[in-house]
Amino acid sequence: MNALEMSNNGYLLLFHGNEWWKELGREELEQYIPQSNGWLENLMTTGKVKGGQALARSGVIVSGKNGCNVTDGPFAESKEVVGGYLLLNVETFEEAVAIAKTCPQLAFGGKVEVRPLTNECPSQVHLEELTREEQLATA
Amino acid sequence: MNLQNQNGYMLLFRGNDWIKPLSPEEKQKVTDQWMAWFKRLTEQGKAVAGNPLEREGKVVSGNNRIVSDGPFAESKEAIGGYFLLDVPTMDEALVIAKECPGLPYGVKVEVRPVAAECPVASEFKREAEFATI
Repeated sequence: MNALEMSNNGYLLLFHGNEWWKELGREELEQYIPQSNGWLENLMTTGKVKGGQALARSGVIVSGKNGCNVTDGPFAESKEVVGGYLLLNVETFEEAVAIAKTCPQLAFGGKVEVRPLTNECPSQVHLEELTREEQLATA
Repeated sequence: MNLQNQNGYMLLFRGNDWIKPLSPEEKQKVTDQWMAWFKRLTEQGKAVAGNPLEREGKVVSGNNRIVSDGPFAESKEAIGGYFLLDVPTMDEALVIAKECPGLPYGVKVEVRPVAAECPVASEFKREAEFATI
């Protein structure tokens, strides 16, 4: 699947769960993999997905002033680690949640986080709110 | 770790509410810096996508499709936005991650190689190959 394109709007699904598939036997895997492929294919052919990828189970975290700390994963709590994403091209939050509910990973312990994309940097929005409050207070 | 990756790298910006304690001047500064940073990376062809995420959302889990509100994970670990980078090496992705203007304020940047295929399928293939030996 292609990478994301620049997006002005839409919803992001983040798939959580760390190597949950390692607990599955052959039969479950043989059941899950075609289900998962079919799910994605259906979303793509109906134009509901703009992009998506799996993330490798490796990586680092950069933190501290000027990025002075670089540590290997695990990331967050390992069961909350993000294993992949899908960018949805749907109009409403309800539709995004409805799609998340059909994710085949759910049956095997996966979690799907549904997040609206925004164009505006939240720090900018917060600053504007503060400015409005100050104007009201002085009015 | 695989240092070469033709699929690119994803930066996940972790941290919630680090913005609130900042003064208006600091907020303006970090916002401007962040936007200039993304613009430069886009112009250089190194960032192919990116968005902030709203501080709201839902988590769907379990066979019963339980829908719950955020916050997600611990709020200091919550994902507030992402960049998708088209760079060939982890080293280059790291150089970019270290430029993040949120770092001095407590933001953490998770740097993840994008996988060529679903890890479930590749694991299954490996097992199947092993079984036939």
